[in-house]
Amino acid sequence: MKSDSSLSTIVKALEEVGAFVEEVRDSEVYFRVTRENVRAAARALYSLGAYLKTCAGVDERELSGLFAVYYIFGLDDHGVDAVLRVLVPQDDPWTVSVVPDVPAADWCELEVRDLLGIDFRGRLTKRLVLPEDWPEGVYPLRKEFKYDEKPPRVLREELSEEVGIPVGPYHPALHEPEYFELYVEGERVVDVAYRGFHVHRGIEKLAESQRFTYKQVPFLAERICGICGFVHSSCYVMAVEKAAGIVVPERAEFIRSIVLEVERLHSHLLWLGVAAHLLGYDAGFMHAWRIREQVMVLAEYLTGSRKTYGINLIGGVRKDINTEKIDKVLKTITDLRKEFTELVKAMLAVPQIKSRASGTGVLTKAEARALSVVGPVARASGLYRDVRKDYPYLAYKRVSFKVPLYTEGDNLARLLVRVDEVFESIEIIKQLIDMLPGGSVVVEEYDIPSGRRAVAAIEAPRGEDVHFIITGVGRPYRWRVRAPTYQNIPALRAMLRGTPLADAPLTIASIDPCFSCTDRVTVLDVRSGRKSFIRLKQGV
Amino acid sequence: MSVAKILEIALRTGRVTRRYPYEPPLLTPEFRGAVKIDPSKCWGCGACVKVCPPNALTLKPAGKEATLEYFVGRCVFCGMCAEVCPAKAIEVTKEFELSATSLEDLKSRVIHRLARCSICGAPIWTEAELRTVVKSSPIAEEYYLVCPKCRKERFAKAAMLRLGAGSE
Ligand code: SF4
Ligand code: SF4
Repeated sequence: MKSDSSLSTIVKALEEVGAFVEEVRDSEVYFRVTRENVRAAARALYSLGAYLKTCAGVDERELSGLFAVYYIFGLDDHGVDAVLRVLVPQDDPWTVSVVPDVPAADWCELEVRDLLGIDFRGRLTKRLVLPEDWPEGVYPLRKEFKYDEKPPRVLREELSEEVGIPVGPYHPALHEPEYFELYVEGERVVDVAYRGFHVHRGIEKLAESQRFTYKQVPFLAERICGICGFVHSSCYVMAVEKAAGIVVPERAEFIRSIVLEVERLHSHLLWLGVAAHLLGYDAGFMHAWRIREQVMVLAEYLTGSRKTYGINLIGGVRKDINTEKIDKVLKTITDLRKEFTELVKAMLAVPQIKSRASGTGVLTKAEARALSVVGPVARASGLYRDVRKDYPYLAYKRVSFKVPLYTEGDNLARLLVRVDEVFESIEIIKQLIDMLPGGSVVVEEYDIPSGRRAVAAIEAPRGEDVHFIITGVGRPYRWRVRAPTYQNIPALRAMLRGTPLADAPLTIASIDPCFSCTDRVTVLDVRSGRKSFIRLKQGV
Repeated sequence: MSVAKILEIALRTGRVTRRYPYEPPLLTPEFRGAVKIDPSKCWGCGACVKVCPPNALTLKPAGKEATLEYFVGRCVFCGMCAEVCPAKAIEVTKEFELSATSLEDLKSRVIHRLARCSICGAPIWTEAELRTVVKSSPIAEEYYLVCPKCRKERFAKAAMLRLGAGSE
């Protein structure tokens, strides 16, 4: 994958804007750049085709006396990560924002600002992840802040003025809390405001506290997401293994890959069901979930649990696969293939499905590129991006499969990408089972030196999941997680603007926002100023 | 036409949901549920406490006793504790119907008497652990009845004597 000639072009382009190579590890190149030059460096990388994966703020005062901001770029064509490291003095904590050139950095910069207290110049800033009653000047990711500290709440005046009783977006009994404000003119959406992070749990902080050890974090990571938890625990262990140079037995890599694909199957089937439900086609919903059930049972048989499988360890996996399990896998995917083919045919034959999904919620290729969107959302807008191909990990280098690509960028394209991917996953599992090597499934003896860095990425059902780690003593010094939906939600604005209100539920759902999130929206008519809450499920 | 297709699938499949709880739930042989600690086997070594990711297991000394507590409300059913237990005292069951009407019902305990240091009297190991260790290496009893602090002091004194410092 690597072609050294063009890598040297990148190094040269960055050196021209004052950056220098700090470290080269495996497939990662770390550059140091001053805060004045970071924007130019980011622009240079972006114009060379890099995608922004995420950025991360790190309190490195114990190591170097400074704060650091890492911008992690992925050069998909080379399978290489280019990381910009900007050092920020603690008595004058600001840096220049890259957002004007790299819009995808919007949220992660705001997060660094909230959690570490570093200001970003040259962009609009506002609070993003901290709750409104969190006091000013208290930064939870600074090392002196204890993980279980509870600063006094500050009630802000704006809070008490709010009338209206939103019995909805924050209600714990509903799906995940996320909140969209749609501004409409008549029936047309003119703008969208998103407010999320109501359930920011401080998991990154928790993992670097005394409370956790390297070995316990996989179980914590698995709980980041209820649907693709195995992606997160795999990504964490891969990052640690990469940083520490631990070589995982091949058989363990295969088992992880098989389980990852099983997870993709259940996730896509779940999504397809919910999409059918949102379109008012409940028969399709129920049959999709009926078919999905056998995947859940398979997952339990392979791992011990329907979800939160709990089989990842640093150095390998806890559960081996025997011949009975192999037979069960093969039988399940054969049945699944048959039933899924039949269901998709029946579903797509319903004229309303096609007519409501095609041409709605369009995301153009240019917008998709600017926002560095990932996964099926990117592939439906004509971006050929798939971590399994671009940065081959685990056993994916050994299998052949197609990356479905559509150019329409609409809801139908996103649906079809996922349908195709179900078939590809079935093929991948078949090949992996076929080639499953022997040997042990875990290395017990290893040692994790502190101060090492690594970036790991996995293609989750929703797109690229990124974990960045700096190793510490006994536990991570810093662990940064970027889930795929984080990258895709900002694209909703582009998809929704100017479209009829009636298409909004499906469009929001079409990015598969860790699905749960979409129960309620506020609709604000900009002409009358009238506000009303609607349930997305009522099909508007 | 499209309705007919899905109808055909539906008729062929029939009902797939189970009449749980009147019918047994669908569990595979690999399913992991709540764990059970056998008090007659447990030494109170604390290995399970150290490995448990959500702190569902705790080991707290109080006076002459140390209590190993399992709070199933925090358990994530990973089974790591059973894997590390040197006494094989922990069993991963298939139990998952765990709701209770009081918090107490979600907790189970193993209480251990603590052995005391033969020099300073501070609590050191649980008696059960001491018995186990002594059984495997009988010469160690005298050694294990001294707490690490006193052991260090005793060693320092002996070393000083050997170096001649004691003659002053
Ligand atoms: S003997 Fe087993 S159950 Fe008892 S404390 Fe040690 S690890 Fe836990
Ligand atoms: S099963 Fe896991 S979570 Fe439950 S007590 Fe054992 S180690 Fe803790």
